[in-house]
Amino acid sequence: MMNEEAITTQEAPHAGRIPRSSLGFWPIMCVLAVATILAAYFVLIISNALYLGWSDAAYFLPRERLWVRFWLTVRTSSIATVASLIVGVPAGYALSRLRLPCRTLVSTLIDLPVMVPPAAVGVFLFGIVKSFPVHQFSELTGIRFAHNPNGIVLVQFAVTVAFCARLMKASFDGVNPRFEQVSRSLGASLPATLWQVTLPLAKNGIIASAIVVWARAAAEWEGLMLFVGGTMAKTDVMPFSVYLDWNGGMMGWVVTFSLVCVALAVISMTAVRAIGGRSYVW
Amino acid sequence: MTGRLGRLIVCGAVVVAVAAVCKAGEPIQMLFHAGVGQRSSLMDISKLFEKRFPEAEVNFSFKGSGYFIADIERSHEGDLYMPGEEFYLAQARERGYADEYDSIKDSPGYFMTVIIVPKGNPAKIRKIEDFARPGGKVSLGDPKACAIGIWHEKIFTKAGIWDEVRNNQVHSAKCIPEVATAVQQKAVDGSIVWASTAVLYLKDIDTIPIEPQYRGFVSLPLATLTTSQHPEMARKLKEFVLSDEAKKIFRSHAYVIDPGPLDKDGFCTDGGKASADDCKWLVEAVKVARNDSIPMNEKTCGPLVGEVKRQRKTTRAGD
Repeated sequence: MMNEEAITTQEAPHAGRIPRSSLGFWPIMCVLAVATILAAYFVLIISNALYLGWSDAAYFLPRERLWVRFWLTVRTSSIATVASLIVGVPAGYALSRLRLPCRTLVSTLIDLPVMVPPAAVGVFLFGIVKSFPVHQFSELTGIRFAHNPNGIVLVQFAVTVAFCARLMKASFDGVNPRFEQVSRSLGASLPATLWQVTLPLAKNGIIASAIVVWARAAAEWEGLMLFVGGTMAKTDVMPFSVYLDWNGGMMGWVVTFSLVCVALAVISMTAVRAIGGRSYVW
Repeated sequence: MTGRLGRLIVCGAVVVAVAAVCKAGEPIQMLFHAGVGQRSSLMDISKLFEKRFPEAEVNFSFKGSGYFIADIERSHEGDLYMPGEEFYLAQARERGYADEYDSIKDSPGYFMTVIIVPKGNPAKIRKIEDFARPGGKVSLGDPKACAIGIWHEKIFTKAGIWDEVRNNQVHSAKCIPEVATAVQQKAVDGSIVWASTAVLYLKDIDTIPIEPQYRGFVSLPLATLTTSQHPEMARKLKEFVLSDEAKKIFRSHAYVIDPGPLDKDGFCTDGGKASADDCKWLVEAVKVARNDSIPMNEKTCGPLVGEVKRQRKTTRAGD
């Protein structure tokens, strides 16, 4: 247990701290830069809250219209996160632990959706749903992907799965491989070592990563606009509602949805800090 | 073993039968591709349609008009199509995705151009020529990205002040809400948008009817798609969107139903007679939306009473 603590807490942040005695021009500039960023966030959020005002906030926040979209966002991004984890955890493990052929190439390809704009992902998805085997699967089961909530999950999954694999790799990288070697040398199989040693040690990182992936899925809208389009209360998750309501001049709803999205992001990142604070992922 | 297999087959048959019964009871899922600007009107119309035809459910794919061709081409899904410009429908028709349509008969309404200025009209814009004043600040749409950009060029060129207005351009918009937001935020002295856009900002934007000779109209085109899985229901939905009942809804969102005679470029030729009422109600709606003491009814704001009620409910507009 002591060793586990030693390993999971071998993070660098505290080691790199600048002693107070050596405070000079450069550290003060860095602190000012952080303060500027925080001040900008503060001004943006407060100015929007003031623009909305108390009476409008009291009108918009309890409305069913908001909560229908809130739960649609939560539901779809949660399903997409689970799907991303099912693929991302083994992929992250493989990237971290296995000697894959053409490792750099594989790693680059895995990272591709992280770099490609979500709108392009939306365009590619059209190609996938009309090709073998997804098209045949759709025809057989009647499950359609474009222009409905299944499409939301598919876009969110496509946008987050690579991100998830990358974060999972970071989580597994944070676990000392020596423990796994000891477990194997004591006769445990690879799956048993994975379940009983690696995953428990990477647990904090995995949970923190899952929250980050969830937050990313909940923030997705560009791919949705292309691939799904907006049907009221069916496919307009909160970020998409911001775009649609902005087009409809509904500034009250635009600001309300934006503030709720910010609140969700703050809660998610606080949870990441609280749960995964001792891991390397963020 | 045989017994187990038999039970398995029976269970499978029951599941398939239940699924078939459930599917038979499900409403027909229609997919309507439409420009995001038409959302409010089409949502109201679809509610009425679903009441009238409970066997159908209308799903929308709202997005910028420029995105549709790629969507239909890749997904091969959709029953109806209503972009914000006939040009896009012509493209869909050329590629074989849209059924035949008549640009006059198959249009439930028209966009009408109006001048918009920030609340209080600080730059004192009264007519088209005022946009050419030296030192003015104008927002213009990008003609490659949105239809209103094409109309900016058409109107100011007709007035002979296109070069002067371009010198005053301080903002280039990719879509019409960007133009309206620039005016709402007082970043520019004014601009020109559709009446159906201006009506969304009654509290923050003043609307000035354009002189009849520069007043332009753009028909809102509608066609069924060749990709339709339910052509009969698609035809019914199209007829409903073109019905007088639906046209009344379009009018309540500041679309013009009868613009009167137009020239080949879409400019008004009757001296503004046919659209005079539409212009009057737009100006009145601004007054009523901002003054809580004026009653909201058809006498004070005509067909725009729903819009005024919506916007007076809260300080910032909701639904």
